[in-house]
Amino acid sequence: MHHMNLDVNGMSYPITADASRNLLSVLRNEVGLTGTKEGCDDCECGACMVLLDGQPVNSCSYLAAQAEGRAVTTIEGLADGDDLHPLQAKMLELGGVQCGFCTPGMIMSAKALLDRNPEPSEEEIRIGLSGNLCRCTGYAKILAAVGEAAVEIR
Amino acid sequence: MAITDTPRFVRADGPDKVTGSGRYVADLTLTGMLTAKLRYAGIAHARIIKIDVSAAKAIPGVFSVLTADDVPDLRYSPVVPDRHLFAKDTVRFEGEVIAAVAAINAEVAQQAADAVVFEYEELPIVADLEAALAPGAPLVHEDWESYDVTGDTPRDRNVATFSSITKGTKEGVDAALAAADIVVKQRYVADGSHAAPIEPRGVVAQWEGNKVTIWTSTQVPFDARNGVCETLQMPSNRVRIIVPHLGGGFGGKCGFHFEAHIAALAKASKRPVKLVFSREEEFLAPDRRRESMIIDLETGLNADGTIAARRGWVAVENGAYTADSAFFPQLAAMHVAGPYKIPFVHIDSSLVYTNHQPSGSVRAPTAPQGCWACETHTDELAKAVGMDSVAFRKLNAIDTGDEGVVGQVYGEIGLQQCLDTATEMAGYGQDLPDDEAIGVALGWWPSFPGASGAFVRLDADGAGQIVTGAQECGTGAVMTLRQLAADELGMDPEDFEIIYQDTGVAPYDTGATGSQTLLNNGRAVVAASEQIAEQLKDHAANMLEAAAGDIVLANGTAHVAGSPDKSVSIAELAEVAAGGQMLIGKGSPVPPEYPEIPGMNCVGDQGVAAWAAPQFSCHAVRVRLDRDTGVARVLAIACAHDSGTIINEIAAHGQVEGGVLMGIGQALTEGTVYGEDGRQQNPALLEYKLQTFADAPPISTAFIQIATAEAGPRGAKGLAEAPNVPTAAAISNALAKIVGQPIRQLPMTAERVWEATLSIADDSGETA
Amino acid sequence: MTTFSIAQSLDQALQALADGARPVAGGTDLVVGSRQGKAPLPDTVIAIDRLDELAGISLSDDQLRIGAMVTHAQLMVDPIIAEHFSAIADAAALVGSPSTRNVGTLGGNVMNGSPAMDTGAPLIVLGATAELQTTSGNRQVTMEELWVSPGKTSANADELCVALNMPARPANSGSAYVRLEYRRAMEIAVVGAAASVTLDDGGMVTDARVALTAVAATILAVDLGDALAGKPIDEASLAAVAKIASETATPISDLRATDRYRRHTVGVMARRAVEAAGRRAGGETIAIPVNRTLGIGASQ
Repeated sequence: MHHMNLDVNGMSYPITADASRNLLSVLRNEVGLTGTKEGCDDCECGACMVLLDGQPVNSCSYLAAQAEGRAVTTIEGLADGDDLHPLQAKMLELGGVQCGFCTPGMIMSAKALLDRNPEPSEEEIRIGLSGNLCRCTGYAKILAAVGEAAVEIR
Repeated sequence: MAITDTPRFVRADGPDKVTGSGRYVADLTLTGMLTAKLRYAGIAHARIIKIDVSAAKAIPGVFSVLTADDVPDLRYSPVVPDRHLFAKDTVRFEGEVIAAVAAINAEVAQQAADAVVFEYEELPIVADLEAALAPGAPLVHEDWESYDVTGDTPRDRNVATFSSITKGTKEGVDAALAAADIVVKQRYVADGSHAAPIEPRGVVAQWEGNKVTIWTSTQVPFDARNGVCETLQMPSNRVRIIVPHLGGGFGGKCGFHFEAHIAALAKASKRPVKLVFSREEEFLAPDRRRESMIIDLETGLNADGTIAARRGWVAVENGAYTADSAFFPQLAAMHVAGPYKIPFVHIDSSLVYTNHQPSGSVRAPTAPQGCWACETHTDELAKAVGMDSVAFRKLNAIDTGDEGVVGQVYGEIGLQQCLDTATEMAGYGQDLPDDEAIGVALGWWPSFPGASGAFVRLDADGAGQIVTGAQECGTGAVMTLRQLAADELGMDPEDFEIIYQDTGVAPYDTGATGSQTLLNNGRAVVAASEQIAEQLKDHAANMLEAAAGDIVLANGTAHVAGSPDKSVSIAELAEVAAGGQMLIGKGSPVPPEYPEIPGMNCVGDQGVAAWAAPQFSCHAVRVRLDRDTGVARVLAIACAHDSGTIINEIAAHGQVEGGVLMGIGQALTEGTVYGEDGRQQNPALLEYKLQTFADAPPISTAFIQIATAEAGPRGAKGLAEAPNVPTAAAISNALAKIVGQPIRQLPMTAERVWEATLSIADDSGETA
Repeated sequence: MTTFSIAQSLDQALQALADGARPVAGGTDLVVGSRQGKAPLPDTVIAIDRLDELAGISLSDDQLRIGAMVTHAQLMVDPIIAEHFSAIADAAALVGSPSTRNVGTLGGNVMNGSPAMDTGAPLIVLGATAELQTTSGNRQVTMEELWVSPGKTSANADELCVALNMPARPANSGSAYVRLEYRRAMEIAVVGAAASVTLDDGGMVTDARVALTAVAATILAVDLGDALAGKPIDEASLAAVAKIASETATPISDLRATDRYRRHTVGVMARRAVEAAGRRAGGETIAIPVNRTLGIGASQ
């Protein structure tokens, strides 16, 4: 068993788990945050997206132990108390949420995109979120939500 | 009654979903919970010699290992009950469950599942639909004749059900075809595909005494409950199905799946048990996959471009078991006949057993494939008679008052407006580069009126609660219910919360299937709200000293008509009511009637030829083709839909947009590939390719809003499945224009398009 | 049970390898592979993604050095790579998705040895060598020597790839990587091709190289013969390139394509790669990646 301290959403978690465990499973089972979803376990759907030092990472395919010393941000760490992050608010307001299973990962990818590119074009949003599959929305309302959130954040 | 102005509709479940606090089945944990793993056959067709679980049971940490010997010995499924919970004597597809294990953790459970000894004798695989129909073909179900089938269902050997639709007579069709000026005959072949919701399914079961509670990712909680009751032989009041948030279904999570296996494991283990599927299992094991089809169409035309007659033959793949697919042949026949004025029609359609995964109700079953064949064929007809394909449709498509392919005369419908609107939005007829084209297709789909119930109550503080049996699978249909209640009661939608998808507390609803939620449960919520409105008006009439008939409910108050200052708040009324006769409404209205068609001529009628509140659509799609590789890209798509009155505009757009993208996938990149061993070759999202964000084109949508009689609230029809219907067909027609001939295989993969390009290009046309 | 540690220095990492540990960079291939049952996770794993010695991109007068832990996300936007070694940027920008590009490293990809890796063909046409280091020394291996068969390299278990090195580009040179993809993202190469072209002042080709992705057991360098040398890049020479590429390929049939289709399309890709490389050599700027700028993947 491997001992690690994971910094998740600004809180430090002392964890003991097998070193072969992926970050997704440790976040969901040991840290206790289930907002990060498992859709494929294979880097193919993006439902498990978290930020590692601000960069998007498929937590299903990343060793938990390797995240030690880096800041992990999950969907639960995005809102400021009861105040939703503009991405969360716009996804709600513009209908970017349907079944919601891809939503956390989608929002985390969008956060990473807007952090590195505050004024993305439509094409840049499409490419920036291309690692997150959504089966419900056809992506149209998510595109609008990310675009409007970008404006609000600026 | 005021219709609430909600241009920006915020879902009641939205905050849960954007913050990550919403719980799906996989997110649930109960104290003492075990992990389940299923052991699958892993072979397409075999006679079982031995299943030995002794080694698996001996592994420390294993609580129970179940097989067919441990559950009641009976076959289930509606119409054609042909399946056992666990394989018995024979396995008929690779994903068949032969044993189920519950153990202390996932590793031990998997180890035990692997330790189940399975000895078998291989049987010949039935994979090809035509071969399955050949005399002397191996049988998927040797004892098919002994099954206890309900209804008028012609069957024969590997044909699970058969239906035909006929307009005129068979002989009349023959004569009309013989007399036609032009006859076009073609075959179209569609591969199977998958619902592929992003959430893989999960089931958690917990027993207390003789009652079991099952949390499951089903679209149809009452169906799932009934399946558990049937297979484990329990009364319905001891099985409670709760669906937490559901991560999409698209039909893949319809029906009853693994709830009984997990309930049986939990009972045997005396512990709560949890099953969560891997993505691979989600591809292989469920009995709801989109069916492969072979479609032969032969159509006669008159010289003026009108259609004289159509003869068709359809084989619909059933797979190993008849999940809910008994009605598919008839539905497929309707789709290959199409929304056209054709005086003579005869279509034979069979549901054919194979040793593949069972087919089931994936978003508009049989329709995208049937429409793709019909509409590709329609463009071929237009070409044969020298007409523009849109003009040809204008001439032949049904309109208000016309008689359709089984003799149904349609009331006010918007198909022609859909055609006009979508083609105009797409700029049909404009000059395009020679590697681009706009393809057009028409689609249709029935609505399914049925029984459905809801309770509505206002508590002492005036806060509303809707308790409904309806199931939210993401579409927003259940979320829209509070808008209906609010409008009836002059309140704000956000004054209501919704308790839903719990069979223990809510009255029956069919579930998130058949695009029926708003159509049926919307009526139930309106009826329940009306009862409360009456009560509120009575209370207000007393307090305001007016006649109840003069009370108006609006803006959270009750006031006397014409005297807005003579008012009392609904919260105040609710507080008064709470001290006596409480504000509880129950809605279970009589469903709208299905049309009766005098003289309808259908063999093996499964009730899907006479269509209640039919929905119509036209999609016009602009496609670019890379001729050298066959890779197609959808550049833009315009959609016009007649789904009756639209109640929730933003959710309606979301349904069209999602359906379109699923349709693009079906058209170009999504298809199940089987190996010679009858096993799926691409059960993973890298090889089974859903469209990505980067592939998604701009989608523009218009609704032709006709308040439809005998339909849902305010004249609404269904919507969730319809957008899935004509997308692949429209893409096919665009590709055919660029290539010079249709690609008569679905999906129209890059390689298939390239092969079609080669077959008509001369050698000098090749660039490499 | 796996033992895991994070290397604090290159020496520590090399010593761990000498003692039998396996290195993990982004971990994507390793973690996914272990769960799919391709190969169990090694007993001892050492993370090397934080080593400064393995980071960074540096161009000297005669050589470009890309640290093995440089990610695809860095490669696709690095101005030196984008301008002078464009094929690598083209390829890096096509890998998987933003998150896999963010985690996946060039060194990790190279040592994974997949014949479908996108950055492989660019490395070959740019004349790259892998710098393999052990506790006792350091050697340069050409890509052709390194890649032996699918998933297998000629590196010893104690050798760590610390960098990819390649010669600085001559004047009037350009390179490009193009691949066949059925979707505009989340794809693995069905086939792909990289090209490097150097022109003289008159626009005639003085040097040209082409390498192919996913049409053989390893990334395949193409012998162009005299198809391009001394000639302009025009319809005739491009047709010749396509023909040679198709003939050189020895593709298999699998789920993603038949051998026949692969053989045809790899010719198309080679032709497009040479065309784009030639235009870049002539001074034209074509945005990274070529796939999304030219042809079917292009945005409207």
